Amino acid sequence: MVVIGVIGVVIGIPLALVIPWFPADGSTQAHNIHTLYDVLLIVSVPIFVVVETVVLYSVWKFRMKPGEEEKDGPPIHGNTRLEVVWTALPAILIVGLCGYAYSVLRSNEKTHPGAMVVNVTERQFAFQFAYPQSGGKQILSAALYLPQGRPVVFHLTSVDVIHSFFVPEFSEKLDAVPGVTTTVRVTPTRLGNYPAECTELCGAGHSLMRAAVHVVTPTTFRTWLIHQKPNGPPPIGTPPPNASQTGTTPGGITGGSNAG
Amino acid sequence: MEAASIAHADHHGPPAAHKSSRVEAPTLGMLLFIISEVMIFGAFFTAYFFIRVVNHNPWPASGTKLPEAVAGINTAILLSSSLTIHWALTSIKRGNRFGLKAGMVTTFLLGLTFLAVQINEYVHIGFAPHDSAQATVFYSLTGLHGAHVFIGLCMLLMVTVRSFRGHYSAEHHQGMEVPGIYWHFVDIMWVIVYTTVYVI
Amino acid sequence: MAIPAKLRAPGWYRAAMFDVMGLGFAFGLTVLVRWLMHQHPVIDGNAITIVALIAVPLFFLVGLGTADYWFYWIAGRPTRPEDHSSHGAHTWRDYFRVNTDHKVIGIQYTVTSFFFLLVGGLLAMLIRAQLAKPGMQFLTPEQYNGVFSVHATVLIFLFVIPVFAGLANFVLPLMIGAPDMAFPRLNALSYWMLPIAGVLMLMSFLAPGGSFAAGWTAYAPLSTTMPLGQLFFTIAVQFAGASSIATALNFLVTIITMRAPGMSFFRMPLLVWANFSTSLLVVIATPFIAASQFFVLLDTALHFHFFDAFVGAGKNGNVIMYQHVFWFYSHPAVYIMMLPGFGIISEVIAVKSRKPIFGYRMMAFSLLAIVVLGFTVWAHHMFVSGMAPWIRIPMMITTAIIAIPTGIKIFSWLATLWRGVLHLDTPMLFALGFLTMFTLGGISGVMLAMIPFDIHVSQTYFIVAHIHYVLFGGSLFTIFAGVYYWFPKMTGRMFDERLGKWHFWMTFIFFNLTFGPMHLIGIQGMPRRVAEYAEKFAAWNLFISLSSFVLGASTLIFLYNIVASWRWGPRAAANPWRAMTLEWQVSSPPPIFNFDAVPTVVGGPYEYGVPGAVHGIFKPPTEARPVPAGAVAGDQGGEFRTPPSQESHE
Ligand code: HEA
Ligand code: HEA
Ligand code: CUA
Ligand SMILES: [Cu+2]
Repeated sequence: MVVIGVIGVVIGIPLALVIPWFPADGSTQAHNIHTLYDVLLIVSVPIFVVVETVVLYSVWKFRMKPGEEEKDGPPIHGNTRLEVVWTALPAILIVGLCGYAYSVLRSNEKTHPGAMVVNVTERQFAFQFAYPQSGGKQILSAALYLPQGRPVVFHLTSVDVIHSFFVPEFSEKLDAVPGVTTTVRVTPTRLGNYPAECTELCGAGHSLMRAAVHVVTPTTFRTWLIHQKPNGPPPIGTPPPNASQTGTTPGGITGGSNAG
Repeated sequence: MEAASIAHADHHGPPAAHKSSRVEAPTLGMLLFIISEVMIFGAFFTAYFFIRVVNHNPWPASGTKLPEAVAGINTAILLSSSLTIHWALTSIKRGNRFGLKAGMVTTFLLGLTFLAVQINEYVHIGFAPHDSAQATVFYSLTGLHGAHVFIGLCMLLMVTVRSFRGHYSAEHHQGMEVPGIYWHFVDIMWVIVYTTVYVI
Repeated sequence: MAIPAKLRAPGWYRAAMFDVMGLGFAFGLTVLVRWLMHQHPVIDGNAITIVALIAVPLFFLVGLGTADYWFYWIAGRPTRPEDHSSHGAHTWRDYFRVNTDHKVIGIQYTVTSFFFLLVGGLLAMLIRAQLAKPGMQFLTPEQYNGVFSVHATVLIFLFVIPVFAGLANFVLPLMIGAPDMAFPRLNALSYWMLPIAGVLMLMSFLAPGGSFAAGWTAYAPLSTTMPLGQLFFTIAVQFAGASSIATALNFLVTIITMRAPGMSFFRMPLLVWANFSTSLLVVIATPFIAASQFFVLLDTALHFHFFDAFVGAGKNGNVIMYQHVFWFYSHPAVYIMMLPGFGIISEVIAVKSRKPIFGYRMMAFSLLAIVVLGFTVWAHHMFVSGMAPWIRIPMMITTAIIAIPTGIKIFSWLATLWRGVLHLDTPMLFALGFLTMFTLGGISGVMLAMIPFDIHVSQTYFIVAHIHYVLFGGSLFTIFAGVYYWFPKMTGRMFDERLGKWHFWMTFIFFNLTFGPMHLIGIQGMPRRVAEYAEKFAAWNLFISLSSFVLGASTLIFLYNIVASWRWGPRAAANPWRAMTLEWQVSSPPPIFNFDAVPTVVGGPYEYGVPGAVHGIFKPPTEARPVPAGAVAGDQGGEFRTPPSQESHE
């Protein structure tokens, strides 16, 4: 049985690793996370294989044969050594995995002094990206342009319900919460066009709440930026009238009339 | 007991269940129910915590004030009702039916007064739940407790009615003891609500 | 004018009449309040509906007669002697009235929940039909959001949670040698709150603006800005929650105060342990979801500001608070949906491998460990919610730690199989299927606990895959195992083994084909809760949809098998599995009052292979040889062994 298990592991791990799980890794964060996932696979496959092989082997070896209808198994009530082992081993694995995951988290969320700030304001059902300029002006854009290789800090907020900001190729994701400004860090590394998706259910338009992300060379980015004309600061945090009541609210028992 | 239940091995009634614990079923049930109640309040206090502490909102909302004094007197009223119901219990344990009845009636009246004062407070407090998140929390915490006082009062009413109809005795008074536990819980809960909402 | 007896006696007629009265009450109250508060229009449909949603069900419960005894009691009349008239089922009609027999209630629960499995499953079929091709299909986005929201809500609150309560309702009192539950009337009440919750949820499809559509998590402020349908969720959940709190309370009291003589805690079957732990979770956690829905109700109906971030400077509500309160219930809830299953598996595996459970005490302790840990991990659902970042780290650690007690259970089951004599019939197959599939779902769970990875896959189909591997491959497999295992006891008939095997293999295979690929498309970035998706996921989604239809069809085999066997199946012996636990020592189905005399427990529940060991005997303790309490090894009471056939009293 041990043999079967070993074979299972030997085949299983490479198999699990060759599957093209992720979209292209478009950021340093994504790169770290992909490696983390590989490690998780290498740990998980053996665990799964162990359980499978024991089950299958028992089914094959200990199944009731004709004539054993009345037969009982040996009355084994437990084995302390064994129980200690299968408590300790997972514990060790857990400690290792958590430690590693924590280090990945730390490096993924490291602050960079020269990072570029992008303010993202989300509403039902659209993104708005704002690039703060000198003199409090901001450049507003419906599409997200990023220079390759430059760390970016996104400040997210929402003006109605909870939304979210997710670029699969960046492997980073965070909710945009009304009344709060949340922060997520990404360092794009790969040129290309990706989708930005809202991944928090936000109403009927949720499925289609997307935006285009263009990671371009620093020069192209600068030229793009120049061709935008700065507007006044965007309405971050300033809700549409009566934001809490967006959508069609029930009149309520005491009526919408005197709603605060 | 088992022997007995074997003796009449007929299908006209269940065998007497074996009592595998010293604690009475109704008492245990009430205690577990109170755990749930405590958790309900816990959830409302979570809201209080997030809106007052996490949000750094001023408490009470600027331009409003809470009548600590009146509420303080009200606290005294409610706490004294805990004593009176305890008196009712000890009386019936000693078989003193008058004590039971008098105790229950006073407890009920004290509880009623508390509720009346609370409602009066709502009327004159000068802000509505939808004025601010703090107002929301204030009304829901005190309101939640008020609802519990109301439930408690209903129980007390039953017990009072039954005690006047000649129920309960020195031996059998669980029917009033269990609602009593609930009433004590309601009182203790108020002390917590009062300190968190009015005092600090 | 005299009210006809039909309308005065508890029952459906009176319930119908009370429903009408409830409507009238709701109408009157709302109009009165709005008039007093000078609101216009005085007659407001929404307001009336909201009040009616609460009032009508309560009137219904009273009308049906769930509370008659209590009113009688309140009125202070002399306590009426219990005549057991509301106990037991003699005709099928007795299943449709307020019944205080835990066996009847157990069947009411189980059948009702399976009806809702079919409904939820049908909705799932709709989901898959919509997702078969990219681009909008026949459902509008609103409808789609509604469909998966109801799908999840129904299957969680009206299938998994209650069906476990139902099975335990039937089996647990028998297992511990009790004639009934501690509070039979409360038990009946908790059952009848269930159909109410279910009907409310399904009725939401009729509400103007469509059914509730904020997901089963109903995050505020989306849920507080939704059309009327959302309130059907808000209120239905209250009834479901009240129902499960009452049942849990009942279980706890029953287990603590009504165990048969000699049944020490460490002689209880693990199913009893499992429901003990689950009930603790329910009693402590469920009030939180109740509160979260109260908040939503107050925000929507009375314009409170729990979740309104835009009231004004210095007086804003807090949006993320909803998620903390919700998950403080709903993570424990996922164990509420798993621990009873663990119990079922322990019973099935011990009996079907003819061996004692390996490491009985560790099995019990790991259940309690999961209960405790279960309260310390809720924010692992909020890694991307924008809460204070530091909270994520302790939550990651506690979450991962839960793998340890769960692992202990998995490995102990494996060790129980080892060197046993495995009877590979339907219940056992589902038990083994559970072992393998739940391990997979659990491992993906531990991956999700790893914050950076979760940040990538959160809110994608990887989560959907996890959900279904633990809830379908986990909970539902244990439920099937349990239903097949106790079917003979509940109905007195045997099910068709061949169909059972077909059901298992179809389910097992197409379950994996349906939900396995979701891991992949999830990691590749397909978001969940979308009615429409990118081209590149088209192939996989079509594959998933097709498999899911076969998966659905496999359920029909089960349906047929159960219905046909219940009707025409061969009669079942008292103890077809040669099991030791007490419920098998009485006839199938059990006598109306379970036991003529409470049995005495003299050994552990799983002493298979121990020569002459028995668990319980039908002798008073005075005659049973005294044994050290808590003894697990079954070397006692040998001479009392009597073949089950003679044990059963009919
Ligand atoms: C029956 C229900 C059930 C169960 C039992 C579990 C069990 C677990 N779940 Fe799951 N979970 C859900 C139902 C369930 N879950 C649902 C419905 C959601 C989605 C909610 C929503 O958003 O709609 C969810 C979401 C969810 C998330 C949030 C994902 C996100 O939204 O971003 C996380 C994150 O940590 C998580 C983790 C876990 C873990 C660690 C376990 C652990 O308990 C698993 C433990 C078991 C094992 C690990 C396997 C056996 C162990 C061994 C063989 C030992 C060796 C193993 C190791 C050392 C790894 N779950
Ligand atoms: C126990 C819980 C449970 C169960 C059993 C299922 C079962 C299934 N679920 Fe569900 N599901 C959830 C719990 C569950 N699900 C939860 C919690 C969510 C998250 C929702 C959210 O995001 O808020 C979810 C979400 C969810 C999604 C994601 C929706 C989205 O995010 O956009 C999908 C998509 O494929 C899906 C599919 C399925 C399928 C194909 C089944 C199949 O297993 C169903 C198989 C079919 C049946 C079991 C019965 C079939 C019946 C018939 C075919 C006809 C017979 C009927 C009569 C005769 C009346 N589920
Ligand atoms: Cu915005 Cu989903
Ligand atoms: Cu969880």
